[in-house]
Amino acid sequence: MNTKDALAWVAEVFEESPGRIAEATLRSEIPGWDSLGTLSLIAGLDERFNIHLSEQDIEGMKSVADLLEILRRHSAIEDTV
Amino acid sequence: MRFVLVDRIHSLEPGLRVVASRRIPPDEDYFADHFPGFPVVPGVLLTEMMGQAAAKALDVQRAPRGKAMLAKIASASFRQWVRPGDEVMLHGEITANTERYANADCRAEVNGKTVAQASLFFTFVPASAFGVELRDTVLEDYLAQSAT
Repeated sequence: MNTKDALAWVAEVFEESPGRIAEATLRSEIPGWDSLGTLSLIAGLDERFNIHLSEQDIEGMKSVADLLEILRRHSAIEDTV
Repeated sequence: MRFVLVDRIHSLEPGLRVVASRRIPPDEDYFADHFPGFPVVPGVLLTEMMGQAAAKALDVQRAPRGKAMLAKIASASFRQWVRPGDEVMLHGEITANTERYANADCRAEVNGKTVAQASLFFTFVPASAFGVELRDTVLEDYLAQSAT
């Protein structure tokens, strides 16, 4: 998965149109990143990437960049483009 | 209108799968509007039936996480009309089952034909949040019968 694919996946998780999500997008700019969005994200990370995060881990994220950083740390993103 | 949309459980494997059914009462109020002269069960109710059936496979585990509550319809499709009097068979397959969430792939059939499918996402609400004792007489009846 590359960064573009990851951004598309993030958009899907939060039910946003793909063009609305960029690495610099803040959590506060994503209406779907609410409590249900957080659970959807936990489920998505678990099922698609086998990455297990707590709700506290998710709460610490302030932007899409923070989320992509987690994916990179777990080698789920293979480029930085 | 009461909102128990599952009549009977036919088989159940806790945390894994369920087969249940619902006979559609011909005199449901909503048929007057949905639609006059062409009564069909609304897709949202078929989805709720599938959700209630799948939730029983989760609730029967009596886990501390609490009652399974439908939180998201990941996808749903409605393939055939469901008419007054039809018996709808509800199949639920739990595809993820964790402390915080669960997923289920569900299918509704009438006379062996798929009439609806849905991929459903559940969260859990602790029993203490309800303020009353939670009862599920359909599940209780099934468990009582299967114990004999």
